[in-house]
Amino acid sequence: MTGAHRRILVVEDDPETAGQLVDQLTTSGYDVDLAANGREALNHGAARDYAVITIDRMLPDIDGIAVMRQMRDDGIVVPFLIISALGEVDDRVRGLRAGGDDYLVKPFSFVELLARLEALGRRSETVAKETILRVGDLAVDLISRTASRGGRKIPLLPKEFQLLEYLARNEGRVVSRAMLLQHVWDLHFDPSTNIIDVYVGRVRRKVDDQQAYPLIHTIRGIGYCLRAPG
Amino acid sequence: MLLAKTLGSSTFRLALIAIGTFGLIVSVIFAYVYWSTVSYVRSRSDHAIMTEQANLHDAYARSGRDALVALIGQRIADKSFADHVYVLVDSASAVLAGNLAQWPAGTADQGWSEFRAAVPPRSAADALVRGRAETLPNGDRLLVGLDIGDLDGFTTQIRAAGIAVVVLILVLAAVASIGVTRRTVGRIESINATSRAIMLSGLDQRIPLHGSHDEWDRVAENLNQMLDRIQTLMGEVKQASDNIAHDLRTPLTRMRGRLEKAYHCPRNGESDAALIGDTIADLDTVLAMFASITRISEIETRARKDAFRTVNLVEIAGEVVELYDAAAERDTTRLDLTGDPEVPVTGDRDLLFDAIANVVDNAIKHGRAGGKVTVTCRNGEGGAVISVADDGPGIAADQHDHVFKRFYRLEQSRYTPGNGLGLSLVAAVASLHGARIELQDNAPGLLFRLCFPASTGS
Repeated sequence: MTGAHRRILVVEDDPETAGQLVDQLTTSGYDVDLAANGREALNHGAARDYAVITIDRMLPDIDGIAVMRQMRDDGIVVPFLIISALGEVDDRVRGLRAGGDDYLVKPFSFVELLARLEALGRRSETVAKETILRVGDLAVDLISRTASRGGRKIPLLPKEFQLLEYLARNEGRVVSRAMLLQHVWDLHFDPSTNIIDVYVGRVRRKVDDQQAYPLIHTIRGIGYCLRAPG
Repeated sequence: MLLAKTLGSSTFRLALIAIGTFGLIVSVIFAYVYWSTVSYVRSRSDHAIMTEQANLHDAYARSGRDALVALIGQRIADKSFADHVYVLVDSASAVLAGNLAQWPAGTADQGWSEFRAAVPPRSAADALVRGRAETLPNGDRLLVGLDIGDLDGFTTQIRAAGIAVVVLILVLAAVASIGVTRRTVGRIESINATSRAIMLSGLDQRIPLHGSHDEWDRVAENLNQMLDRIQTLMGEVKQASDNIAHDLRTPLTRMRGRLEKAYHCPRNGESDAALIGDTIADLDTVLAMFASITRISEIETRARKDAFRTVNLVEIAGEVVELYDAAAERDTTRLDLTGDPEVPVTGDRDLLFDAIANVVDNAIKHGRAGGKVTVTCRNGEGGAVISVADDGPGIAADQHDHVFKRFYRLEQSRYTPGNGLGLSLVAAVASLHGARIELQDNAPGLLFRLCFPASTGS
């Protein structure tokens, strides 16, 4: 991300939550503007260019979704991350349909928020049209939909390939279990089991077993990260 | 108290309106009967008078005054003409013949009249007479009449009977409606009394039945059944909240103990980090449980089916099988998908995925390690059916109904991971889709079937 694109607008009416967000995002190297209600959000959105806007679904004056619609109508193309205490599927889908790019249900872990902000911020940059993603000695061929390490082909099922592709696209960034479910399986809820871990475990065995160094790393309490050493 | 309620009740007011209308109609009918009877009787007597007058007039016209006088004499002597009244006077009003002492006072010389006169020997007292007068060509006046006292009595009796009947009907109707209303109000009052008792003391009261199997007993029975259902639900809610309390206390107690211990120990970066990590993981468990509970409630109360589309059950089941393939492999369980290639149902993909995933998850978790789990989708006669069969220990038949309750855990699975919410979610999803759940013994193992209604799909 370029310097100008590390600016984030946080729309949050609860002062303590807002304070925590601003502190932690600032620590993580973002420039943060804060809007406590919908009107302030609209003013900020019109005045500045942001990498991502996080918006609470329930605001004291204008509904978060209405704010998003208004900004979209005003031609603001910044990606939105909806943060909502309304966790139900319908609300999520409605939020996404209204122009939200991603959502997060309260309470959330800050690492999860950061992971999603990174993913969204990258989406707003121009994505290079690569056909082969490379991480260390791993090559993920998006055309033939095959993966190999050090030239040796890794036998993968279609979903396993999709999972590896998503990790590779987010190389070096933490990807949460919920993000994997959302992007690989198109599921907008969290199954209450550790099924993702089991699944990633199998992919990891195929990718990392008997290799010089591991690529898929478990990030405790959050999810996974694909990165080469060094 | 009850009488006041009876008189003030809407049933009684309606009864009064009905009685009033009915009474009015009966009165009109009786008035008509009375009027037509009276006019019939009157016309009969008038006819008799006119006939007799014509006879006398003929006698006069044929043979003159003397013949007339003689005929009148004959008539008076004749017993069959006993109720007749005759009087013939000359122009000076002197009586020439007849059974009246004089021309009745106030009677016109011509036409109809009614008067009272003593008619010997029939009645000494004044009888009511209806007569018709005529002036003969020679100036004599002839009056022919009938003693209508009997007829008058007859019509009076009819009138009295009519009024008596109307009054009797009204009184009976009033008594009957008070009785019926009182009964109605009494039954409603007993329902009200039970409702008040329930509001005051609790759900264990029931409305007393009269054993008459009438509509009131049916209302009471239905209300009692509703109360039974509410009581059962309340019991389940209590059971569920006890379970929530238990399941939440366990991780919360763990967290509290851990934090308390850390508070009293000197800071140590490494162990602190582990402690915080464990605490966050426990908190996540608690939050996930909350999420499951609210999700089930949301599905259970959802009436809208906006998100329903025609989806292919096989496709969803295939994705689930693919997702759980790794988990099955870990337990060396064989996970297979068989059946028809396309099984369309109308539903919500995410919810169906979640439900099937839960069932498959259970089958793998509680099935036999090294066993097999088979998912089958079929277009059945009665509608689409998806079944999940394992060859594990199964569930005893008497436990089948319980496993869908929130937080219910079988003794045998008390220590396997899970929160006892999975099948509640499956049940909620099934009910939203109008689908039926069947549990069968797979000998060995459990056969779970989700049967969609026939109309579903396209």
